[in-house]
Amino acid sequence: MLPVLALTAADAHPHHAFSPVYDEKRLITVAGVVTEFRFVNPHAMLLMDVADDAGKVAPWVVEFAGRLNLSEFGWTADSIKAGERITVTGNPTHTGSQRMFFRKLVRADGTELLPGNAQRLDAVEEERRRRARERNQPK
Amino acid sequence: MDVKPVGRWRSGLLVLILLTCAPGAADAQSPASRLEGMWSDPPATSEGLFCFFACTDTGMARLNGLLDNPVNDARPFQELQAEAKQYEREYIRSRLTPAALKRYPFDPADDPGFLRCEPWGVARQIFAPHQLEIRQRGADRIELRYGEWDGRRTIYLDGRRRPANQGLTPMGHSVGHWDGETLVVETSAVAANIIMLPDLSAMGEHSDQLRVVERYSRSKDGDTLLLTATLEDSPSLRDPLVLKKIWRWAPKQQITPYENCERPTEFKKGVKP
Repeated sequence: MLPVLALTAADAHPHHAFSPVYDEKRLITVAGVVTEFRFVNPHAMLLMDVADDAGKVAPWVVEFAGRLNLSEFGWTADSIKAGERITVTGNPTHTGSQRMFFRKLVRADGTELLPGNAQRLDAVEEERRRRARERNQPK
Repeated sequence: MDVKPVGRWRSGLLVLILLTCAPGAADAQSPASRLEGMWSDPPATSEGLFCFFACTDTGMARLNGLLDNPVNDARPFQELQAEAKQYEREYIRSRLTPAALKRYPFDPADDPGFLRCEPWGVARQIFAPHQLEIRQRGADRIELRYGEWDGRRTIYLDGRRRPANQGLTPMGHSVGHWDGETLVVETSAVAANIIMLPDLSAMGEHSDQLRVVERYSRSKDGDTLLLTATLEDSPSLRDPLVLKKIWRWAPKQQITPYENCERPTEFKKGVKP
């Protein structure tokens, strides 16, 4: 399960603040089939069909950081393909519409896509461990 | 007819054109050659993440204090960063005039960049994340191109004044000079707009009296570009405010089209970032 932490600036929308649209304190998860992935600026967008328990299908939109940001981490227009079955976790909108801001995507084979900032945070936590080791070394 | 001499002449001309127009055409010994090229998001370090948009020395000192305290070793970085950013916002708050305090932090739901896809003014653009491309164009100017909004600025190196018929603009009028290997850019004639104080979750408003002095320098190892920006705007700032930012050398990065900005169809006002 993803911890709900305050978003860092690097997580947020590149060209405007996150808070007017999405609730950073909550996470939701939906599963469905990708219909389109738009690898564009300022926000990449994923469109997917999500079926409810009764089998009724509804279109959902998943918003990402933009191509300018995602390309820093090797994402391309083919990183997510139409027809893929996926499970996506993200921040819901304040209005409860069928839309979320991407935090984690799991493909049918179990592989995951995470925001680029997760990689940055891993590197920073390693830096902190190194810093703590150096601090704790006997002088 | 013997065309070889013409062919050689054409080849020579082509080489000359390529040399003149190629990126990095500035003299390899010139200070511009130290800064020219593509920069992008900062290194994945605590300092880089903290200064992803902009930061202050005060905020960084607070963050380093938290990181160096063993009591905090088990706390996630995001938590420490949020605490240091809160401290930094309070510091910035103390630098604002009473008039500016009434609207700080600015409600991001009122941001014209969000509501109407209006590109940023200079007091946000210089702290924009992602790519920054620096190119010298001839002897008299440097162009800065930003990935965010595909923003572009011209820095005149010949000290020219703003044309009399040119009013205030979002990016203002910028002149630059070299202080050793540091590019110093002075910007004025900026239309009133929004300012990062220090990021998208804490924005303020500046007047048309804003003056910005930017100092760009490359690290000794060549891997990072540091901006120190001093902002003066007496209607909103009690004293000059110094904000910093870092980029990482990223020659393989590209600026891609910024063509799909959509106005929001749903949002909520008054949500605290």
